[in-house]
Amino acid sequence: MLRKLVLRVVLAAVATAVSLGAWASPSVIKIGTLYASSGYFSQASTRQYDGLKFWVRQINAKGGVYVKAFGKRIPVKLIAYNDQSSTMLAASLYNRLITQDRVHTLVADYGSVLTSVAVPLAQEHRIVLFDETGTSGKFFRPENRNRYIVLTGLPTSSQWPKVLAKFMHSKGIRRVAILYAANDWSGSQAKTLNQTLKQDGVDVVYFHSVPDSTTSYSTILHSIAEYKPEAVAEFGYSDNDIAFVQDYANSGLYFPMVFIPNPALHFEVVRKAVGNKALRYIYSYVAPPIIRYNREVTYGPTLNEFKAAYAKAGGKNVDLSTVAGFNTGLIIQKALATAPKFTQESIRDAIDKFSGKIFTLDGLFKVNRYGAQVGEFLPVGQVLPTKTGVALKAVFPSESAVAKAVYPAPRNK
Amino acid sequence: MNLLEYALLAGLFYGLYFALVGVGLNLIFGVMRIINLAHGDFLMLGAYGAFYLYHLLGWNPLWAIPIELVVFLLIGLPLYYLLVPRLQKSGDPEMLSFILFFGLSQVIEAAAVFVFSNNQRSIPASVFGGAPINIAGQVFPVSWIVSAAVGLAGIGLIYAYLYHSRPGRATRAIMAERSEAAATGISVNRISALAFGIGIAAAALAGIFSPFMIGAIEPSMGIGITVISFAIIVIGSLGNPIGTLLGGLIYGEALMLMQTYLASWSELLPYVLLILILLVRPTGLLERAVRSA
Repeated sequence: MLRKLVLRVVLAAVATAVSLGAWASPSVIKIGTLYASSGYFSQASTRQYDGLKFWVRQINAKGGVYVKAFGKRIPVKLIAYNDQSSTMLAASLYNRLITQDRVHTLVADYGSVLTSVAVPLAQEHRIVLFDETGTSGKFFRPENRNRYIVLTGLPTSSQWPKVLAKFMHSKGIRRVAILYAANDWSGSQAKTLNQTLKQDGVDVVYFHSVPDSTTSYSTILHSIAEYKPEAVAEFGYSDNDIAFVQDYANSGLYFPMVFIPNPALHFEVVRKAVGNKALRYIYSYVAPPIIRYNREVTYGPTLNEFKAAYAKAGGKNVDLSTVAGFNTGLIIQKALATAPKFTQESIRDAIDKFSGKIFTLDGLFKVNRYGAQVGEFLPVGQVLPTKTGVALKAVFPSESAVAKAVYPAPRNK
Repeated sequence: MNLLEYALLAGLFYGLYFALVGVGLNLIFGVMRIINLAHGDFLMLGAYGAFYLYHLLGWNPLWAIPIELVVFLLIGLPLYYLLVPRLQKSGDPEMLSFILFFGLSQVIEAAAVFVFSNNQRSIPASVFGGAPINIAGQVFPVSWIVSAAVGLAGIGLIYAYLYHSRPGRATRAIMAERSEAAATGISVNRISALAFGIGIAAAALAGIFSPFMIGAIEPSMGIGITVISFAIIVIGSLGNPIGTLLGGLIYGEALMLMQTYLASWSELLPYVLLILILLVRPTGLLERAVRSA
């Protein structure tokens, strides 16, 4: 009898301890992330990390992030490791963040490649992965049955060219050439454009991939010219785009429309590399900060306010990655302020609750049940001459346009 | 037919340029029997030199040629005395050179990231001015013609140095047999240092034109260039500078034909050529020529 009583008391004590442990307020909210200070992704990764760090500084200046489960603000501690753009190192460091550092939220490094190794780890450990810019459609397939991923920024890459296809259709373009670098990001855009154009009855006269490492496009451009396309879309990383535009500008060839994706992501990098003249009348997507969300913003600072605060804090070169990093902080902030319990499941449910209801400096935040971003979209832009050089301006659709598209592009630009 | 003509002519220009890319690596191997795995990184530094001269001072890349030749020759001479004589004293200098120069490559890349950042850079091809040039009914960028001409001139100068100058003849003597050359009174270290400096300067010279032929400049571009250079000199024959010209032309033609007809597979080209040459003629296409040199 006594033994039973002791056992009950012990069990009750353990249950209470566990319960208290689960609900005990932590002294800091640990956010774990990776960045790359070297290697292929370092440029975008460090800027994305800068954006996230800026959010941490700002929120800590207010006393921390408000956590609804505890009804108070708690300081944020950012734990970050350098993965040097290596997926192998990233896998081990993500694991360290989850198992050793026991972070409360996990934020992925830049892009799909460095995010890819975090996705299965987060799913296995049942921790929500805040995916900043890993837009590969593979992460969000229904068959993955993965609730533990949320794409905070850009839409999945396969969605990007849908507006582009509409633009081509609106201009009466009938013959399109599509060239893409053999990687998931470029390939998914190329395939979507190909399918969408075909559905619209547009003839895709050239559809080929080239290796990621391709940096000479002159002969390929001549091959494309044989098919007499009215528009050429090239999908690749920024060094592919730079070489493509350089070679096009010097080829003596003419296409009424040429599209590349990277000016939307790193406009100044591409512009400085190829020069204003080569970039004139080239089309690209338009994303924040080139497209400025100010009046629409319902959560966090407007883009102008962010840029001013960032510059005041000594930050330079706000680009899409910086905005993406900061925006991820905002989404984490909203999730913690909404979740009634401090558990991963509750945080994920909270995200579903405010999905489609908040508009940040990065656009409408809306995710589907698999965590894919479906709220944001990328308008089509064109690099147009200005008094001081060139600027990428939104030209389609009309509700986003700030300038009129010059189609066909002038022959002697 | 039109495409084939374009690919063949483009391959010729690329080939001449890539011969210049590889010749420095070959000269160093021929004289010292060491593999400079940092070769591509010196090319990268040469590219950044031209980039900054253009963007900061507005200088045409052609002005970078004399400046970089002198600067990189002066870098190469002390670097030789710092690294190579110690390597030569080891039991297996060829193998150890792989490790040492791989380390040097990593150091240069890391330093370049620190100094230049990881942003991709380039020089607008319009810097050479004018419209594209029509050759045999095909239109080519002026920058290609200039790069190919400099490539041919660079190979020609190294040929002239080796075959028509006193230190060049001494260099060939060292290439043939190092110990015998030393026995005849040739200052092996002095001549080797000069060859090392010329090899590095040739890499930097090729780097000046890399924005127009290879693409954007970035700190991590070196290792890929070294692999291509290695394929080129193996095709032509290790240690034979003239073979490098042949290797460069074969690489250039094969690359352009692949990009025209099998673009998706062009990345495999250097490795496929390497495997083919090693299987069919492991000594390279001009091995006999080097022995009779």
